[in-house]
Amino acid sequence: MSHFMLLLYDNPTDWSKVSPEEMQKAIEKYMAWTKKPFTVDSKRLAEDHGRVIRPGNGKPRATDGPYSEAKEVLGGYYTIEAASYDEAVARSLEHPHLEYGGTIVVRQVYES
Amino acid sequence: MTASSETGVLIEHLFRHQAGRVVARLTRLLGAEYVALAEETVQEAMLRALQTWPYHGVPENAAGWLFRVAHNIAIDVVRRDKVFGSKTDGIVAELTRSGTVVPSEPDVEEQLRDDELRMIFMCCHPALTRDASVALSLKTIGGFSVREIARAFLADEGAIAQRLVRAKRQIRDQRLTLDMPAGAELAARLDSVLEVIYFMFNEGYSAQAGADLIRQDLCFEALRLGRLIAAASIATPRVHALVALMALQAARLPARVDEAGDLVLLEDQDRGRWDERLIAIGFQHFNRSIEGGDVSEYHVQAAIAATHARAIDPRSIDWRLILELYDQLLAINSSPIVALNRAVAVAKVRGAAEALAAIAPLEHDPKLRHYHLMLAVRGQLLLDLGRTGEAADAFKAAIACGCTDPERRLLERRLKTCM
Repeated sequence: MSHFMLLLYDNPTDWSKVSPEEMQKAIEKYMAWTKKPFTVDSKRLAEDHGRVIRPGNGKPRATDGPYSEAKEVLGGYYTIEAASYDEAVARSLEHPHLEYGGTIVVRQVYES
Repeated sequence: MTASSETGVLIEHLFRHQAGRVVARLTRLLGAEYVALAEETVQEAMLRALQTWPYHGVPENAAGWLFRVAHNIAIDVVRRDKVFGSKTDGIVAELTRSGTVVPSEPDVEEQLRDDELRMIFMCCHPALTRDASVALSLKTIGGFSVREIARAFLADEGAIAQRLVRAKRQIRDQRLTLDMPAGAELAARLDSVLEVIYFMFNEGYSAQAGADLIRQDLCFEALRLGRLIAAASIATPRVHALVALMALQAARLPARVDEAGDLVLLEDQDRGRWDERLIAIGFQHFNRSIEGGDVSEYHVQAAIAATHARAIDPRSIDWRLILELYDQLLAINSSPIVALNRAVAVAKVRGAAEALAAIAPLEHDPKLRHYHLMLAVRGQLLLDLGRTGEAADAFKAAIACGCTDPERRLLERRLKTCM
């Protein structure tokens, strides 16, 4: 079994109009997926733009995030088990995140 | 009350009910004119749950989590927005204290119910129109979204949003507060609260088969609000009568539609599908409604629903008693709709011919002349009398009036029996 990282990018769709009932339904769908046996780990990233550190001219410098050009923000990640990329993708395709407009990037974790 | 189980399954409508409860609490702390701010805050707390729970799991006490996070967001907003001026520190202190209580503790539960009660009473203030009261109650206490309210009332989303904006402006302009009225004002307000709840219930109940489930949610929300008031010290026998009536009628909801999505009339319903729990609740409140001498419309309506609920099968319905009750109801509320329903009881007790005579005046009522249910009742009575040609005409006219799809199918089936 290989490990795959699923990077979940949020599409900040207008949740301000979504009802409490609909949010509960969404959470229930997410939870149902998260409970699946292949999930190894999952973490949500804090709601900020983070810091970017670049080498600069010999003197690395940290700057505040915003990746203003990017509409989607990396919201969190899952680590899952799968036999192959195909299986990892198949499992990701069932993730409700896609239903709510989010994007998932699947990357295999290197194993030597 | 456990908000979540090990499997992370949330109790039904947890978010919706919790939204109402926390909005009521925050509005009480912030002031009635800030109800919109309270709503936005709660929305934000729920959004945070949506963003974090899928990764970190549902917290053990989901309701408590939402309560606490909403308070923390409110504190941030109050500090940041500075709209409260010199009152800022005081409000932050209040929010901080409120945010650390445990909502599931009995005395806190009671305080929170009191907040909700005050909110209902403000939403049903006579300064607001009934439509505004209904929409505002559903939005703030019921946790419904604008879209859901619009869907339930088959109304335009923009119109509902407008109605809510106007209602909130009126709260501000008329300086409405969450203070409970007292004395004669309390009695009058309680009546308008019951009226709003009954209207909400009927809107949901009149929803016919195949209609959106959201309309059933209206019934259950009305019932929930009624029970909230019935549990409070201000409850009167009239409150219990309304709760009894709603519970007994709501008990029939599962039996009103068959598997094909077709309407099943009361007499043909499978009584095994009636909700026993609701019937028990209904009778419990019915018994409390008859303490004291008050006989309101709710009392009589509840008595009619109770008579139906007591019958073991359709043959043992006490139609004589039901007719008596309709006579009584007509004396309190002489609406043509009541007269129409009474005609059905007349037919059972005295035969179709008398019932037909009883609805004859209604046929000239301009409001009812094109009312499909009046025509459907007339068609049925004519059919019972063997006057199939006239019955067919009545059913055709009823279909032409415009009705829901399941109603139309029912009428078409009736029409076929005339052929």
